[in-house]
Amino acid sequence: MIVVSAAFASARRFLPNLLVPIDLRDGEPTGPSLFAVCEGRRVAHVAGATVYAIVMSDREIDAAVVARLGRAGADKVLLCEGAGLAAPALDATHGPALQAAVERVAPLLVLFPAGGAGMALGPSLAARIGAAFAGAADLEATDAAGPLAEGVGRVILRRWRGRRAGYRRLDPVEIERPVIAILPAGVAAQQLGREEIDVDVIACAPPKGNTISELASEPDDDAHIPLARVLVAVDPALGPEAMARIAAGAPAGVVVVDRDRSAAAIAASTPEIVIAIGDVAWVAMGTPRGRLGAILFGDDAVAPPAVDVLWRVPAAAAGAELWSEIGKALSAFASRGAS
Amino acid sequence: MNIVVCLRAPPPGPEADALAGADALALAQALNLGGDHQTTALLGGTSMEAGSLRLAQAAGVDRVVRVAADDMAGSDFHTIGQLLAIALRRIGAELVLTGVRSDDEGLGAAPAAIARHLGANYVAGVEELALVSAGTVDVVARGGGRKRRLRVKLPAVLTIARGPAAPAQRPPRTGAAPAIEVIPLSDPEATVVRRRTELLGRLDPASRGVETVTTVAALVAALDRR
Repeated sequence: MIVVSAAFASARRFLPNLLVPIDLRDGEPTGPSLFAVCEGRRVAHVAGATVYAIVMSDREIDAAVVARLGRAGADKVLLCEGAGLAAPALDATHGPALQAAVERVAPLLVLFPAGGAGMALGPSLAARIGAAFAGAADLEATDAAGPLAEGVGRVILRRWRGRRAGYRRLDPVEIERPVIAILPAGVAAQQLGREEIDVDVIACAPPKGNTISELASEPDDDAHIPLARVLVAVDPALGPEAMARIAAGAPAGVVVVDRDRSAAAIAASTPEIVIAIGDVAWVAMGTPRGRLGAILFGDDAVAPPAVDVLWRVPAAAAGAELWSEIGKALSAFASRGAS
Repeated sequence: MNIVVCLRAPPPGPEADALAGADALALAQALNLGGDHQTTALLGGTSMEAGSLRLAQAAGVDRVVRVAADDMAGSDFHTIGQLLAIALRRIGAELVLTGVRSDDEGLGAAPAAIARHLGANYVAGVEELALVSAGTVDVVARGGGRKRRLRVKLPAVLTIARGPAAPAQRPPRTGAAPAIEVIPLSDPEATVVRRRTELLGRLDPASRGVETVTTVAALVAALDRR
């Protein structure tokens, strides 16, 4: 039996809207947030959709931020304003505000940026509104014929199945539900839209009943990892010198991490490109459009599943010279911009 | 306190008796809490998929429970969350721990569905966990560029991103390991609304080959090719 929730049944009348919850750091949208808006804009042209950037804050939004989101491709900003909403997102504190935004503007897709509040808020929102959820997905537009809803183009999401055994294609029109997804970190185009866009404000009251309270907060040393477009994961068995020499050549936005020390941050990442060096079987949640490279030592080392590009190096070659060579090669990523 | 660790059914094959890495972290955090608590391992699946429950038994949990329901492998996270929430309510769970993205498809969405059906708090990506008092836990989680210590009222569902820094040494079990209890959810009391969301998404084969290169520059160029 298919059960369509009352919320979504009413929502279908208002398709198609693409909602992008923005991740602000020091008052500025992150690179992956701008990329997510750009991606929304890209498919919105095909689908005839409206792109809403959702900002959650405890104060009025800065005009420069609105302009930045407009340039990235947002048609409108939806500001959820309320006490405590400037803090990092939790379902208990921010979930009701996001729910209010979704009730105001019923979505076809909700697209969280990499490194944002996707894992904190996305699954809960999907559970509440009966939506599909994709923890890491690519957004694609297609002109394939199909049973389109009125005014809705064909916008689909693709994600890996478990163990990268294949792709799962999620079409919100076909499944008759919204899809909530986390997009990979990517590079935003410089200007897709206009600076002058409207800001709609939703006044959000604090959730009733304080069930989660903050005891302490400090800067997260690994905060840059989930924002990286290119993640280089290094087997700690190769030693600290390998980490240091490889990282020394990495341009901005290419992040070199210890497979074990930063395991939690890596698990929260959705990079576009992953390079695994040494014994790094599975390091991050990538997307089908993403690329996975591996540098393995010796002929017997087992390659990660679904690796795209493989370089096998003689085990005897592992050493300072090779680490520096790898570090220098990473600088090539700088030409496209990394974050 | 009643602590429950939700385990996933391992995929068939050579790793059928392995505990998923993410689940192992959740189990380690639960066992590390010590104290006078009951720790239960819970699995939704068939008797053929109970390998991870046997590993939890060996690790020292007090109780092991398998939820037997029709076609859980073919259900989406909404249905799995609802089924497990029914079982968790019967067990009387106050604190529920799961792995991050621990379901077969790597979504990490079932814990949020469980929390919704239990009316529990939900916190993703917990790295440290400590019991403060009956009904309250302290956790450390990252997000929005901050690393925060939070006080969370129970009931709560937490996804665990890191194992304990110093795993506690548990004394060897005295007596037999607990038998696997089965909660059947095919009785009329447990009305499950089966939904279809993900499962209607189409499957495509992963048809990419491996490109072998002989220099690191070629590797970088091949990865960044568009």
